[in-house]
Amino acid sequence: MNLLRLFSLLLLLTGLLSCQDGQEKKPATIPPVSSGKTDTLPAAATQENYPYYINTDMSPMDMSYFPTDYPKLKMANGKVIEQPVARVIYSRPHLSRRRFLSILKYDEPWRLGANESTEITFFKPVTIQDKRIAAGRYIIYCIPKPHTWTIALNTNIDTWGLKQDSTKDVQRFVIPVTHNNPPLEYFTMLFEKTDTGADLVMAWDDVVAKLPIQFK
Amino acid sequence: MTSGGWFSFVSYNFAHMKFAQQVFLACLSLLLSINSFAQTSLPDADKSPLDVSYYPVNYPLLKIQNKTPEPPVARIIYSRPKREGRPIFGNLVEYGKLWRLGANEATELEFYKPVTIAGKKIPKGRYTLYAIVKEKFWTIIINKETDIWGSFKYNQAKDVVRVEVPVETLAETAEMLCMTFEKNRENFNLIIAWENIKVAVPIQP
Repeated sequence: MNLLRLFSLLLLLTGLLSCQDGQEKKPATIPPVSSGKTDTLPAAATQENYPYYINTDMSPMDMSYFPTDYPKLKMANGKVIEQPVARVIYSRPHLSRRRFLSILKYDEPWRLGANESTEITFFKPVTIQDKRIAAGRYIIYCIPKPHTWTIALNTNIDTWGLKQDSTKDVQRFVIPVTHNNPPLEYFTMLFEKTDTGADLVMAWDDVVAKLPIQFK
Repeated sequence: MTSGGWFSFVSYNFAHMKFAQQVFLACLSLLLSINSFAQTSLPDADKSPLDVSYYPVNYPLLKIQNKTPEPPVARIIYSRPKREGRPIFGNLVEYGKLWRLGANEATELEFYKPVTIAGKKIPKGRYTLYAIVKEKFWTIIINKETDIWGSFKYNQAKDVVRVEVPVETLAETAEMLCMTFEKNRENFNLIIAWENIKVAVPIQP
């Protein structure tokens, strides 16, 4: 929707410019706002004049829990259940007419997202490919190859995603990737229940990779 | 606003301008392509996107430049609703009622070390954040119940601290709910700003 607005604004601006050039002067019409009350508000903040102006990220952040939608379950159940098992917090780049494989560079670390490093929290110990992973917070990134990704769990948390300190890798796992899936505009991470735990699903464009996690 | 109205208005002005017509057509095709994306892509990003702010400010960026010898002190993870022309305080956010200070999942405030707020010592850990908004001051509530949706099941028994902070009026208008931290003389503040209102919650590390 923001993009639509931006384009509308762009169209209006171009229209105004053409007004100045041409013979006809047509007064600019301002789109109506939903309430007259907003007229009394001061001018909109900009990055230059307002210290608390924070741009919306181009790649907005999101979070996924296991159990899926844990916060909603907790709200609905009141007492709930137990602690969540896992949570991932990541930023969501979108294709914007590109293809994922034109963005991804093989054999170089990718932060599995954008902006800050993607963060995964295990609220209890889990097992991945027979390796015990202690409860706690990690960052997660991948090193992609055409048919496999190496997934790294790393303790260098609260960091920006462009630089990885591989000496702080806790564990690395090689997982297969599949292609030709239904394309996703936004990079997506979620947990999918399995018989023994959950898969951490990482999907973008037509590429899907799954990291199986055991809750035993 | 109907897009038809916009287009007829704009095309009226473009009638004599070949270049402008081309711009118009380019924009139109872009708009159409966005529409076609919207039909094929699932799931979309949230309408009120999640965001994170650290103290020290921009901690993750400082960290990859090796400018942060110490761990962070605090961070807040919150969803950012937009104003979209609506009057917020006293309307969308009703005076005197509990507000979840965000959208979607409850806003999460984490302290990496013990801090003091309004004289109350708060252990390190994750908390949720709510507010009761009034015209002259807000009551900021820090609560122990985490990993929950909004404020619908807010439980006052799990409050850690409540603190009243005065409302400041801003010269500019914030379109989106903003939360950040800023250093004050000796400590730091959690800043919450939206519409033309700002509050600062003093925190002592």
